[in-house]
Amino acid sequence: MSEKTAAKVISIENLSKSFGDHQVLRKIDFAVAKGEVICIVGSSGSGKSTLLRCINKLEQQTDGKIYFNGKEVEEKQREINEYRSRVGMVFQSFNLFENMTVLKNCMLAVTTVLHESKKEAFERAIKNLKSVGMAPYINAYPSQLSGGQKQRVAIARALCMNPEVLLFDEPTSALDPEMVGDVLNVMKELAHTGLTMIIVTHEMAFARDVSTRTIFMDRGYIVEDAPPHELFYSPKNPRTREFLSRFLKDQTEKTEAVANG
Amino acid sequence: MNFTDPSNILEWIVYLANEYKFMFLEGLWTTLYIAVIGTFFGFILGYLVGMVQDIKINKQDNIVKRIVMRVVKIVCVVYVEIFRGTPMIVQGMIVYYGMLQADIKISPALAGILVVVLNTGAYMAETVRGGINSVDKGQKEGAWSLGMSPMLTMFRVVLPQAFKNVVPEMVNTFLTNLKMTSVLNVIGVSELFLVAKTAGGTYYKYFEAYLVIAVIYFVICFVLNRLFLLLEKKLAKKKAYTLAVEYMEGTA
Repeated sequence: MSEKTAAKVISIENLSKSFGDHQVLRKIDFAVAKGEVICIVGSSGSGKSTLLRCINKLEQQTDGKIYFNGKEVEEKQREINEYRSRVGMVFQSFNLFENMTVLKNCMLAVTTVLHESKKEAFERAIKNLKSVGMAPYINAYPSQLSGGQKQRVAIARALCMNPEVLLFDEPTSALDPEMVGDVLNVMKELAHTGLTMIIVTHEMAFARDVSTRTIFMDRGYIVEDAPPHELFYSPKNPRTREFLSRFLKDQTEKTEAVANG
Repeated sequence: MNFTDPSNILEWIVYLANEYKFMFLEGLWTTLYIAVIGTFFGFILGYLVGMVQDIKINKQDNIVKRIVMRVVKIVCVVYVEIFRGTPMIVQGMIVYYGMLQADIKISPALAGILVVVLNTGAYMAETVRGGINSVDKGQKEGAWSLGMSPMLTMFRVVLPQAFKNVVPEMVNTFLTNLKMTSVLNVIGVSELFLVAKTAGGTYYKYFEAYLVIAVIYFVICFVLNRLFLLLEKKLAKKKAYTLAVEYMEGTA
């Protein structure tokens, strides 16, 4: 472990992951400092989601190490649980507990994992649900909510654990366009609070405007890792340029349209 | 109609039902309590075995834990296969006479309950396993991502949802058990079937005697089934939620 690693919230060294013969991640190296908002972009199948799932130990890496606050995350269930309680995750498919109300969803892990009192759990739930605009829905079951509402509750649920890092796995991909904005706004606000976030997303404009660093992944490699304006407007790698060309073209057309009135 | 000196089928039925009413009632009571107790503990056994099947053995666990888990899993699989692959009537014989030969004093009723428990457990184990599998994988991942242990996840998130899927099959199993207790007459449990056999034998009126218990079985099962269906409907109904207006201000 290098000295650089010690100062980072999460650092990943030499991480590889294969499913059978299919290698999804190849020797990934990167580190996240406190307060960074990192967006990972790339085409489908490039390994972005797998990387995020490895970070949260939902997938077992084939090789490599993950450090949390300078300490290696060991392969013991108890350690993994404790690590996960400090690194939250928001899923594409929300994964709210279908058998519980919104309030219970937010309180369950706070009482059973962090062993906080019911009162504390309730206060945290209300505070965080308020911040995502879902407090009035505490009595609803997930099946009674729309996708955008579910995702906002899922974010609140993760926030109730007071996580040090929050991972987002394509949080808006399962939403219809109207609801995407709501969820992105919530995430934007979160980014401004200084929470460390790693976001896998297809929302290029969001990545450009909100992230402090953008990572482009392709075929299991990190191809480019740069501040968003550098990555979006002067990408060094030809593959990055190719991937971003469509997005950039759309953007130029928009700007031209505005310029031409 | 002359019910004291019966001469046709209907009269015989009424005569037998009246003559043996206390025995029929006692038989019904035995049938019911073997079915209820046997099914109840069978469900518990079934849930335990079904959950064991769902546990994943981690490569990182220490060797002792892994061996123990492997053995427990194999025992569960063998148990389920054996009890699903043999008739309950044979299981009854083997359990009862096996116990007697091993000098374990056991009443026929207790042996009967034991057989129902083991039989129900084997069938429920498969049902519960299916119920657990039917719960979306994301539910587990959602719980794990919050730091919940696999055990906690099972009991608070997965099982409650699996339970809902399994309830209809549980009702079905109970009603099946109620009728299957009749095979326990072979080890001398004095449930409804044995009473009918006795009553029919005394007058050589088997057809009429079995008709009496057929009606009893049918009425009980029919009524219970309707009740359970009603309950299920009630449980399935999701009430509209009320907005917590006290948190309304300042939100979209």
